[in-house]
Amino acid sequence: MAAGKGPSASKADQYAALRELYRPHIDSFDYFVDEGLDRMLLSIRPLEIAKGHLLPPKRDGRVDVPLYPQECRQARTSYHGEFKVDAFIQCNDGPSIRQTFNFGHLPIMLMSKLCHLRGADSEKLIFHGEEATEMGGYFICGGMERLVRILILQKRNYPMGLIRGSFVNRGAGYTDKAVIIRCVQDDQSSVTVKLYYLQNGSARVGFWLGGREFLLPVGIVLKALIDTSDREIFTSLTCCYSDHYERGKGIVSTQLIGERAQIILDEVRDLSLFTRTECLLHLGKYFRSVMEGFDKDDFETVAEAVLKDYIFVHLQNNHDKFNLLIFMLQKLYALVDQTASPDNADALQYQEALLPGHLITIFLKDRLQDWLRKSKPQEVRKILSKTSTYVGKAIESMIKVGKVNSQSGLDLPQRDGMTIQAERLNFHRISSFYNSEGAIKDFNQIKKSLIAHLVGAGMAQLLPRIERTGPPEVLHVHLDGCIVGSIASPKIEEVVNHLRSLKLLPHSGIPEDLEVGYVPLSLGGAYPGLYLFTNPARFLRPVKSLLGLSDGGPSIELIGPFEQAFMEIQCPDGGDGGRNKLFPATHEEIHPTAILSVVANLTPWSDHNQSPRNMYQCQMAKQTMGFCAQALKFRTDVKAFHLQTPQTPIVRTATYSKYCMDEFPSGTNAIVAVLSYTGYDMEDAMILNKSAVDRGMFRGHIYQTECIDLSAKSRDNVMEFFCKSNLSRETTTAIESDGLPRIGEKIFPNELYYSVCNNLTGSVRPIKLKGSEPAAIDYVAVNGTNFKDRLQKANIRLRRVRNPIIGDKFSSRHGQKGVCSQLWPDIDMPFSANTGMRPDLIINPHAFPSRMTIAMLLESIAAKAGSLKGKFIDATPFASSVKKTDENSCTSDSIVNEIGPMLASYGFNYHGTEVMYSGVFGTELTFEIFIGPVYYQRLRHMVSDKFQVRNTGRIDQITRQPIGGRKFGGGIRFGEMERDALLAHGASYLLHDRLHSCSDYHIADVCSICGSLLTATVIKSDNQKAKRDMLGLPTIKPPKNFACQACKTSKGMETVAMPYVFRYLAAELAAMNIKMELRLSNRAELPTSEES
Amino acid sequence: MDPQQPEPVSYLCGDCGAENTLKPGDVIQCRECGYRILYKKRTRRIVQYEAR
Repeated sequence: MAAGKGPSASKADQYAALRELYRPHIDSFDYFVDEGLDRMLLSIRPLEIAKGHLLPPKRDGRVDVPLYPQECRQARTSYHGEFKVDAFIQCNDGPSIRQTFNFGHLPIMLMSKLCHLRGADSEKLIFHGEEATEMGGYFICGGMERLVRILILQKRNYPMGLIRGSFVNRGAGYTDKAVIIRCVQDDQSSVTVKLYYLQNGSARVGFWLGGREFLLPVGIVLKALIDTSDREIFTSLTCCYSDHYERGKGIVSTQLIGERAQIILDEVRDLSLFTRTECLLHLGKYFRSVMEGFDKDDFETVAEAVLKDYIFVHLQNNHDKFNLLIFMLQKLYALVDQTASPDNADALQYQEALLPGHLITIFLKDRLQDWLRKSKPQEVRKILSKTSTYVGKAIESMIKVGKVNSQSGLDLPQRDGMTIQAERLNFHRISSFYNSEGAIKDFNQIKKSLIAHLVGAGMAQLLPRIERTGPPEVLHVHLDGCIVGSIASPKIEEVVNHLRSLKLLPHSGIPEDLEVGYVPLSLGGAYPGLYLFTNPARFLRPVKSLLGLSDGGPSIELIGPFEQAFMEIQCPDGGDGGRNKLFPATHEEIHPTAILSVVANLTPWSDHNQSPRNMYQCQMAKQTMGFCAQALKFRTDVKAFHLQTPQTPIVRTATYSKYCMDEFPSGTNAIVAVLSYTGYDMEDAMILNKSAVDRGMFRGHIYQTECIDLSAKSRDNVMEFFCKSNLSRETTTAIESDGLPRIGEKIFPNELYYSVCNNLTGSVRPIKLKGSEPAAIDYVAVNGTNFKDRLQKANIRLRRVRNPIIGDKFSSRHGQKGVCSQLWPDIDMPFSANTGMRPDLIINPHAFPSRMTIAMLLESIAAKAGSLKGKFIDATPFASSVKKTDENSCTSDSIVNEIGPMLASYGFNYHGTEVMYSGVFGTELTFEIFIGPVYYQRLRHMVSDKFQVRNTGRIDQITRQPIGGRKFGGGIRFGEMERDALLAHGASYLLHDRLHSCSDYHIADVCSICGSLLTATVIKSDNQKAKRDMLGLPTIKPPKNFACQACKTSKGMETVAMPYVFRYLAAELAAMNIKMELRLSNRAELPTSEES
Repeated sequence: MDPQQPEPVSYLCGDCGAENTLKPGDVIQCRECGYRILYKKRTRRIVQYEAR
């Protein structure tokens, strides 16, 4: 076993980097299971809760059989575990009874602690029908893989000074300035407290309760928090200002603060509130009707509860709350006096992540409280008997739909779009789901953000950094939003350095991810202080610390976005980043590629490309048709794109092997010739070699899984099940005797592929294949779960061929996308004079000059050299910057000079060009052609899924115009602007043809006497028909005679060609009691109106 | 060839892999292990594909 253990251990390490990508999701769900659940249950009032249990998923019906995710995908059920809560109930001062409530099922994240696949090795994963590299991090709800988006939220427990126009609308006297703090409790639920500045110099504390914002004078809150005197408030407010220094450097306060403190105290005095008790009574009166569950308590208890549950909920101690409020006031006044700059809410510095586990915790808390609220008026017995399973269902539907249904809004920036479907198009797409923090959905619509303003993160605040002079001589120290003390400013750098060195030590008691946000004193910059953060949901990244430990060498330190804006981090790019000698670098980036995401890191030599091209590649990488899954056999994705013949790129970055991209390759090394040939490669079109395609290049399939559940969509409550008609004995159809198709059978459009039997009538209804292309039956699974006797649920997977055809989209890894314009025969392709090779793909040289994707040219020659040498070429960007100068192996100054000699040694041109012959004429081409292998991706946009043509077909029932929509065989709208274009060209016949003759051409009968369009009725010529009937002659259709119903005559009837919608318009108008009158005439000019 | 007797269809169990032959109206369940998701077997008939 020891021998077997070696490779498996190394394999686990192989995926370690990959696993790291998914860790925030899984760890946060583990947190929910381990701690979040218990903490959340503890904070729920008034129920006394003993313990919450969340059980691992189990198969229905049997108790101890584990449920595996694969079964959930197949059966379109959810991967969930039972959720029970033990609580104590006390009835009328009786003994408290321990009672277990069943709250239904909660979805379980894959690979979390409760998942059966946690810690499984590749063999076990494959045994259970998963990918060998399955990483989890998502939920399975109704067979769909859903994953929670990581949203960005305001950084918790940090008071932010903001200027927003909307603050003025709070009421009369309000200004646009406020200090906002998002306080987060132990159980991750949060309450935002805002401190608004008033024009008179005072401030208001604002928070949301029960759907409206309450605004309290800050003086009342200060006095209600602790037993204090006016003098204490005054001195603590004015402590940051001293007359002695006046407006010295680094001062954050002005002499106005004393007057403002006076105003705050006067406000409270005017309300004749002097003591803490009086303030509490005042608050209690105000809030008793709003607070739930305090109807019988006295005012003071209510006020205490308000302060506990809504004012700075992250702090337990009222003295801490008092200090924080004083600090916020000082910051607010500094903001008003422009001695401190406002914070930028859009900067990463002031943001944190909303993690899946936290989202579930706060949503579950909200639902449980909702359940308690609903069951409160009822009797105890009713609570016990009432079904409480809908709590679990609410969580599941939140993950399934992504909508947070809550009255309070949970202090979240958005209520829907919390989850997305994890599409397994390729690795890039999946990784980008996990590797990104989602911006808020309606980012552009939010007025709060300052988009379109170019703001350097932390830069503007930092620039006037100054030496230590003047007050405040002491800087406040915050730990997770609690003021824990103050440090004299000369000593603070020493303290920061000491803290940083303790962070690096393994057993110092200081967590290694402590964020030491030291905001130095500055003139009008960010409000100074030392802010320490240990809370969860922060962003972290590793950098090298140059401070060094006692043992010497640099070590890795985890830093956060708040502190990094004030840190001196150098990048090993050869330069010093414009740093001056006063502030030497204390930290160093591990590698310059740290600025790039996983997907961006995969572009070879992206430092040689124009930056927008790298961005395009990042977009296109996510749309690439790749090797979508190794466990494709077991997958039930609604639509999966699969490339049958992928290759590993010859030119690759370090990231490629780090994330084991060879497990899911997504392209082909195509021999690309850059020349203008045949003219079919103009304007980003590309010519594919037909024989190369025939040999399997870019061949792909679409796998479509259809889940047919007859129990869900039964018509008129009649049971339906799969079966084959007994009557038809034909063997040509693909349907077998169970009503389902044979696997491997090819089905053509409108051919039957399964049949359904109605239980009541016994009639058999066959279902035809929709679409316009044939499909092969790839797999059929029948599902007997929940249905005892009849075959009602089945998955059918169809396979559709998607070989490259004209119009399909391809792209290199450098944002060079193009459309296949011809599949050119191999014999007519140009061929190399040396090797006789024909290119797989021809692109136009005009693709390069304006786009400047030099890396694509480098990739071409590097891949050529690599394939000759039989080695992969490392194309990690910025490699030359981090290269050690003393290294002897690479003496060349550029990549070309590194690769050129390699090519030359194999007898090829130094610059990658080759002499070529025309495939059509056999003559030598005048110029040498640049040719070499480039990794090309096939994008999933294919003409077969997009083309839309029609000449005649279905029409709309009401307007008789052609319908729209590709699915229904509709046409493309010929709209107003198209009409304008034809009018401008004077193409009136064409216009008439398109918009009338080919659309809703209609001949209407109009009465010229009354002008009505709608009164024409058919005159029945009964006598004639009866006569013919009597004579036994065949009834011929008599010429239709019309009469006007209104005029009772057929004299004035005329036929007029018009669009049918016009007639419809007349009918609609008539329904509104408006008569439309037509005046008919044969003359070209308009008939003269009689009235006017 | 009795027209009233439809030929049975064989399935593979999704859990244990045992072959199950079911007639229309039979319970959808593996006879060996009781698993309720069954996969159809590939047809024995000749199928023709275009390999171009």
